Amino acid sequence: MKTPTRRTFTAGLAAAAVAVGLAGCGGVTVGNPGSDDTAERTQKDSYRVAYIARAQVDSFAAWLANEMKDEAKDYDDISLQVFDGQADDEVENKMIENAVANKFDAIIIQANNGAAQQPYIQQAVDAGIVTITTNPRVDGIEGANSVDANPYDQGGVVAKLALEQVPQNAKVVVLNGPGGNFHSTQRRKAWEAEFFEKRPDVEIVAEDIANWNKDEALTLMEDWSLANPQIDAIISMNDNMAAGALEAVKGKSAFDGILAYGVDGTPEATLMIQKGEMTATALQNAAELAQLNMKAVHDLLTGAEDEVNVDIGNPLITKDNAQKYVDLYKKAGLITQ
Amino acid sequence: MTTKLKSFDASRYSIFIILALVFVGASFLSPNFLSVDNQLNVLRQVAVITILAYGAMTLIIGGMIDLSAGAVMAFAGVSSVMVYKDTQSLLLAVLVGIAVGVACNLVNAFLVATLHTPAFIVTLGMMLMARGAVLELTQGQNVLQLGDFVIIGQGTWGWAPVPALVLLLITAVIWYLMNQTRYGRGVYAVGGNEEAARAAGIAVAWVKYKAFVVNGVLVGIAGVIFMSRVNAGLPNAGVGYELQAITAPIIGGTSFSGGVGTTAGTLAGALIVGLLGNIMNLTGVGSYIQQIVMGLIIVTAVAYDVWSKRGRTRTTILRSGRRGEPAAAGADPGATADPPASGT
Repeated sequence: MKTPTRRTFTAGLAAAAVAVGLAGCGGVTVGNPGSDDTAERTQKDSYRVAYIARAQVDSFAAWLANEMKDEAKDYDDISLQVFDGQADDEVENKMIENAVANKFDAIIIQANNGAAQQPYIQQAVDAGIVTITTNPRVDGIEGANSVDANPYDQGGVVAKLALEQVPQNAKVVVLNGPGGNFHSTQRRKAWEAEFFEKRPDVEIVAEDIANWNKDEALTLMEDWSLANPQIDAIISMNDNMAAGALEAVKGKSAFDGILAYGVDGTPEATLMIQKGEMTATALQNAAELAQLNMKAVHDLLTGAEDEVNVDIGNPLITKDNAQKYVDLYKKAGLITQ
Repeated sequence: MTTKLKSFDASRYSIFIILALVFVGASFLSPNFLSVDNQLNVLRQVAVITILAYGAMTLIIGGMIDLSAGAVMAFAGVSSVMVYKDTQSLLLAVLVGIAVGVACNLVNAFLVATLHTPAFIVTLGMMLMARGAVLELTQGQNVLQLGDFVIIGQGTWGWAPVPALVLLLITAVIWYLMNQTRYGRGVYAVGGNEEAARAAGIAVAWVKYKAFVVNGVLVGIAGVIFMSRVNAGLPNAGVGYELQAITAPIIGGTSFSGGVGTTAGTLAGALIVGLLGNIMNLTGVGSYIQQIVMGLIIVTAVAYDVWSKRGRTRTTILRSGRRGEPAAAGADPGATADPPASGT
């Protein structure tokens, strides 16, 4: 029994090593001069598209990368290669440089840090490559295109709902994403303008960064719930952190009925909303982002469009409509039962 | 030596004095700090890191290091969760988590002990492989709806949280292994001076294999508790945990040069970090300031520990009046503080 188990896992590890190695080889082709061809795009039978994902360890980024791969299969003339930016500006910048050097026809970039990637994205545009920034959009690059969700609206749509639901003189805690992260700061701005400024009776008893992570939010909420016997609502800039905070007060009668708001509409949050454990979230639909990205890149490459800048919607998920999204996730295989 | 035994040697207990100071200081800063609920809360929170820290301590004492602990923890934890979801068997799930941890560490051990590859490079490679494997296994998605699996991380036995009980049990086992067994003495000897250990007839490679297996068991258990605590199989879990796991033993007096370290010191180091995080959360200190304070206190604690032991070394030399022997024994701070080390 012992030997086969060990063999299986060792074989799995070896396969993973090969996969990692192959992925690395695909991404690191150096020495090719970047194209300076800025002439009009010529029609081709097939196009090579690079998608540089922020980080495969980020569950949303991984979901988006998977959706991109699936969506690309619908286009016979597009060959998509996905690269992992490893949540590291240096790595992500190198990936963009390599994609330019490898003369991809188009590059879709999910920036780790818009400001850090901006000069490299500019290089891609200057090299005459179709360039799209997505989740988040990187502004201020002439000639670049974008497909994004609007993070302010995502936060705002949930904040407006909370305006009606959070009780008078409530005490709330706030969980933020990584410091300086565009989506986190925009969502927090929306909460400030759409909720806190309109509800001066509400007191923030604790606020901190949990880096989008469930375990960090869990630890923070364990401590906060001891220091503050009354917490009426958890206001989180994403669903992972909201779910972690709820885990900390699960089963504690003093926090029965606590409200919890997130953003992303992850499968976990959708299930929790369906069960009445979480209150609401705004969906950031990776499938829709992928569809729009692939349509945009195809239209730009074939000359059907000269410029594309679009946003996906931010549908609100509450207990009333959660079933619809649970079904959607079941169909996508992201919820298995 | 006789002179030393006659007086209380405060430097030997410096890390525990620091722990006591942190505890007393924290109790003045927040009225909630001393509550039983909060103390149990701290134990629950430090369980995973402390278990990983014992594995890191074992390897560092043996002159090795493990940079793959965080990634292997995620791989083991997620594998365990997936097995539980398929079989609904808690025992099998835990065993699979441990098996994954051990399997990864056996690969490390083979490359380090048999092929003599530096542990730093080997475990760095394993970190990438394990992370890649768990991401491939899950396609980067969280595994949800764990059901009764959460008992391990969130359950209580009487009033005591299960992770805290597991931590206490593991502490006792690791203390016993390191202090009362031939295996423990072998680890200290190999880490202290590998060539001397080999000359003394110790099977160095075998000791290294065993140290990695112990680490693998601990990493596997930590993975199971972590996933159970957060009620999800998170493939991105444990990023940076390898460094946190190394921090606790180093604060607790384990020497990076090997051969020196104690279980109690590692526990104290982990508790210092845990208590600091806890009191800063209770008092509403923001995460940026928390990082500054944590860094400052860690550096101060280690500097004080090293400084106080240097003082003891000088005292020992002066008292003995013979430069050669005591200087050799005291050159490595803390070497004389550890019975197994001196025993070998």
